[in-house]
Amino acid sequence: MSKVFVIDAAKCNGCYSCQMACKDEHAGNDWMPYSKPQPDIGQFWMKLKDETCGSVPKVRVKYTPTLCNHCEKPVCKDVCPNDAIYVREDGFVIIDPARCKGCKKCAAACPYEAIYFNEGLAISQKCTGCAHLLDNGYELPRCVEMCPTNAIIFGEADALADDVLGAQMLKPEEGLHPRVYYRNLPGQFISGTVYDPDAEEVLIGVRCRAISGGKLLETFTDAYGDFWFNDLAIGKWDVFIEAIGFKQKAYYELRTTECINLGDIALEKV
Amino acid sequence: MEQKPIDIRADKIAIKGASLMGPRSGLPTSVESDKDGKITRIRPYYYDKDFEWESLNPWKIEAKGRTFEPPRHSVPAAFYLSYKKRVYSENRVKYPLKRVDWDPNGERNTQNRGKSRYVRISWDEAAQIIADELLRVRAEYGMSCVLAEADMHGEGKHMAPSHGCMNRLLSLLGGYTVQMRNQDSWEGYSWGSKNVWGGEPVGEMQPSGNLWPDIAKNAELLLLWGADPEVTPVGFDGYMASRLSQWIHSLGIKYTYVDPALNYSGCYQADKWIPILPNTDAALLLAIAYVWLTEDAYDKAYVETHAIGYQEFFDYVLGKEDGEPKTAKWASEKCGVPPWTIKALARDWATKITSFTIGNGGPGIRGPFATEPARLQSILMGMQGIGKPGQHHAKWLEWNLHTDTFPMPHQPQGKFEIPHRAEIVRPPSAQADYIVGDLITDSRVASKEAEFYKVGREDGRYRVTANAKKVPELAELLKILEIPPQQSIPKCLVHDAILDGKTDWWGLYSFCGPAEEQWEHHIYPAPGCSRIHMIWTDSPCMVTCWNDGFRIVKAFRDPSVECIVAQQPWLENDCILADIVLPVQTKFELEDICEDNGSGVISCAYHEQPACPPVGESLDDFDCVAEVARKLGEDIYNAYTGNKMPKEKVLELFYQGSGIVPLDPNDDFHKKGIVVFPCVPDIQDFEKYPPGLRTFADDPEAHPLTTPSGKLEFTSTKIQECFPDDKERPPFPKWIEKSPLHDERLTGERAKKYPLLCMSNHGRWRFHANLDDVTWHREVETMKIRGKDGYQYEAAWINPKTAAERNIAYGDVVKVFNERGVVLCAAYVTERLMEQVVYVDHGARFDPVDAENLDRGGAINLITPTAITSKTVTGMVVSGFLVEVQKVTDAEMESWKKQFPDSFGRKVDEGCGVCLDGWLIDEQRAGGEANV
Repeated sequence: MSKVFVIDAAKCNGCYSCQMACKDEHAGNDWMPYSKPQPDIGQFWMKLKDETCGSVPKVRVKYTPTLCNHCEKPVCKDVCPNDAIYVREDGFVIIDPARCKGCKKCAAACPYEAIYFNEGLAISQKCTGCAHLLDNGYELPRCVEMCPTNAIIFGEADALADDVLGAQMLKPEEGLHPRVYYRNLPGQFISGTVYDPDAEEVLIGVRCRAISGGKLLETFTDAYGDFWFNDLAIGKWDVFIEAIGFKQKAYYELRTTECINLGDIALEKV
Repeated sequence: MEQKPIDIRADKIAIKGASLMGPRSGLPTSVESDKDGKITRIRPYYYDKDFEWESLNPWKIEAKGRTFEPPRHSVPAAFYLSYKKRVYSENRVKYPLKRVDWDPNGERNTQNRGKSRYVRISWDEAAQIIADELLRVRAEYGMSCVLAEADMHGEGKHMAPSHGCMNRLLSLLGGYTVQMRNQDSWEGYSWGSKNVWGGEPVGEMQPSGNLWPDIAKNAELLLLWGADPEVTPVGFDGYMASRLSQWIHSLGIKYTYVDPALNYSGCYQADKWIPILPNTDAALLLAIAYVWLTEDAYDKAYVETHAIGYQEFFDYVLGKEDGEPKTAKWASEKCGVPPWTIKALARDWATKITSFTIGNGGPGIRGPFATEPARLQSILMGMQGIGKPGQHHAKWLEWNLHTDTFPMPHQPQGKFEIPHRAEIVRPPSAQADYIVGDLITDSRVASKEAEFYKVGREDGRYRVTANAKKVPELAELLKILEIPPQQSIPKCLVHDAILDGKTDWWGLYSFCGPAEEQWEHHIYPAPGCSRIHMIWTDSPCMVTCWNDGFRIVKAFRDPSVECIVAQQPWLENDCILADIVLPVQTKFELEDICEDNGSGVISCAYHEQPACPPVGESLDDFDCVAEVARKLGEDIYNAYTGNKMPKEKVLELFYQGSGIVPLDPNDDFHKKGIVVFPCVPDIQDFEKYPPGLRTFADDPEAHPLTTPSGKLEFTSTKIQECFPDDKERPPFPKWIEKSPLHDERLTGERAKKYPLLCMSNHGRWRFHANLDDVTWHREVETMKIRGKDGYQYEAAWINPKTAAERNIAYGDVVKVFNERGVVLCAAYVTERLMEQVVYVDHGARFDPVDAENLDRGGAINLITPTAITSKTVTGMVVSGFLVEVQKVTDAEMESWKKQFPDSFGRKVDEGCGVCLDGWLIDEQRAGGEANV
């Protein structure tokens, strides 16, 4: 009976209900022996991260709910000198508030920045998976229950096998085997609007290609003259825009460390 | 090692309504409390816990091979999830307060309102002072000198409504002046579109039945024009709009957003974002019409049979009237959208089956001359054949208001409405040279909606419903007050009325009155009535939600206003201008009977139990006023309280008079504390329940609109007749560059000094003035950013280029200002906002440094324009106005601290900001150090 979280970034509406549900459950509420209260402000056992990408008017916000990954190989447990961190049968990794001596080693070791140090209580704290609720007949952790769009789901790994299939983990290179999976995490984009400056008209159906290291993507401008190359890997991309009757426009070595808006692109007549 | 299971079962679970709409109480939540009465957690209510789900005949929408079904639980917004922070806020008023230097028997120091602090007094003393003041001003000026500010929104409570309890008492004393709420969030539709398509009572497209199923099945493109499904629906109805918008989008229907900002919906699901300068939508819409006219890309046949006065409008668009064709290039210079994008939008709209969606309170509808963009929306939808499949003007919220058939298919099998024990915005008697009954029987407004509001005007909009009248004892309880207010003042003119001692206006005789009211003229003081000398408010948010808040402060400081009473759970906004503040219980502390017809999941009614004991000495709104009534004698007290009718009896009468009884054959309301109403099974039978304006589209002669002609009036019959020379709201809509009232364009003279357009929307993390103190919301940086001095400033969104021109970096404390004053914010530098614009949501709590000129709290409405929408349009202008933004230097901040040590010395809570302790005199503070 191993539990997993699956988070679908495409469904996240950025409402922060997950973050606030966690506060509702844990700020000001003592759930010993599972957890002591989360501080009211400044710490987030469930944290919604947002990142604004691109530039006006080609902009998107990437929302990512983040929490303790309840790793199968919890490095936090390994580094704890006080044997205060344990793994439950259902896979939840718990910091025992009674045993934690506040050495902060676990927080330093966690690559997900999921562990906080509660100055007032002098202990390290993090997501408990709402184990106190699940052990008492509640079906879901609060962040999952309160997600209005079902972007966060939770359950037995076997039951959610279809959702886990093809999902990503954060920082897989750490090799900690998280139990929190992500779907549809957006990559980078290159976008622009193609128009004819003489006619002051957008150009629709223009062929746009993006090339990187032998990989070729092709798309055509839409009703607004827009093209979007979505979910690009970080790298160097060459982009070519070709419309009949116009000179080709080329961009070389665009670096997708950030999302790129090429702006309104005026094509010159042949 | 494994925990020993602990018992964390809730000791008590109360169902609590989650809507801040005001009169209505909203979707049910389960509030769990521990044995000490402390609220533990707030969760969705699961309908299938108490009811067999299938027995509720749950709805589903099927379209394009996909199905949309409601969840089996309510979908509360984060607003309610965090509501315990509201109940236990550091900002709660815990006991009655008196302004320390206000002496009803001596010096009143009205000039110190918003500056001087408060002392705790007893309920006995507070009630006696108010009673004495009422009797004194009645003897001196007559009861019309008391202004009752009692309008929505707020907590939805029925037995002790958030608004209007004092109206009941004031009526018993002989009357009052009612503050008439203007159409604050939809001004343009009410004053503009209503003259194109009727759309009674609010001016948005009506009827609105079955809109979303029809859109799902037939539309190809949705325009989200200043509309954010993630924001404005939330305070009313929770997050069903988020689920709906995601599902509609999943059908392959494209979403194009027209908005100065990439809003909270667009930022994750826009197919296209077209940034537009605030309040320039009329230019863009005119240019779209130009493209359609010159390219023959509109439904000519439909226009000929469904519209009147279109030729004049077309001539104007084509430049035949003023020599200026409204081309894309012409519009581009005004609205900031490239001409090629304007043309592309025009063609996309004309080519695809398109619905125009709105959300109230967005950037496009609350600016100067808001009638014009609104009318143009209506006309352009008319040009494409509004009412045909998939072609609607649809709203992302209010899925039960003003309409027989709901826009979403959660329609219950029967009508019900829980009564309210007090009336909010009843029209006045002294200005009634206008005969309500005659107008309403006019065939043109004899719609079902108008009938509903006829009852509203006569008996009180929310007080005596038809069902309530059937229960004699209830009718008697609710009816006691035959004296309506003697006069009214439009809410957007209250400052003028007080400071100038007089004012006059067109229309706005009743809240959401019929279009006919727009041609009536009114004056204040009305004949035989007094000026205002006392104010009693239970909606103390003028400074942060209405127009020119700094002028409100000046008005409230005027010596003619001898006494101000506020009753409110929290010490916020106008409360700090009051002389007496009464502590009110939140709905979590009350017992009540509530309903949900609007959240879009499924309808229900429920018995609210208190979730926790009252905080401090707070009383419910009804009892706050009762304490004053008690001081006015046995007769008044008995009349006010219905001969001290016990609350359990009131609750039962409300149930009996709500229309629920025949819908509750198993008596679930009493047995389970909640009754859930099965959905109408064939509600999506479009033959029986036609979507939107389908019957008008099919046969305009048989199904006329409520306009004078019964058709879409591209040129308005009534404006032509009543105000033919109106330059701000001409007979057909035009681009209005400026007028004697408003010079708020980037091209104008004032823009040299104030070169940015300020957009102000309904906030995502507040519901108007509500929830600004919730510590968990204030951690979201689109709302508040902690400045380097530790204070959490309201976020002022600004584009990186606009910021860089001013040497402003993310998180810098900035001043947003114009000639009306200075509001401090922190810069949220973002690519989600276009250049030349600054964006600050309304509703942040006023934290006066200099109460008439400088605010630290970020209450942007303090510097919104004074003048109403236009000369004949009595609405407010709170978005699309000129400001400048500058970084606050350390030296400047230091100089303010030296100049206003007392203001900076008020305690500010680290998490919740402005708090009760900050406003108490030092001796009475609960503790904690003052902020520096």
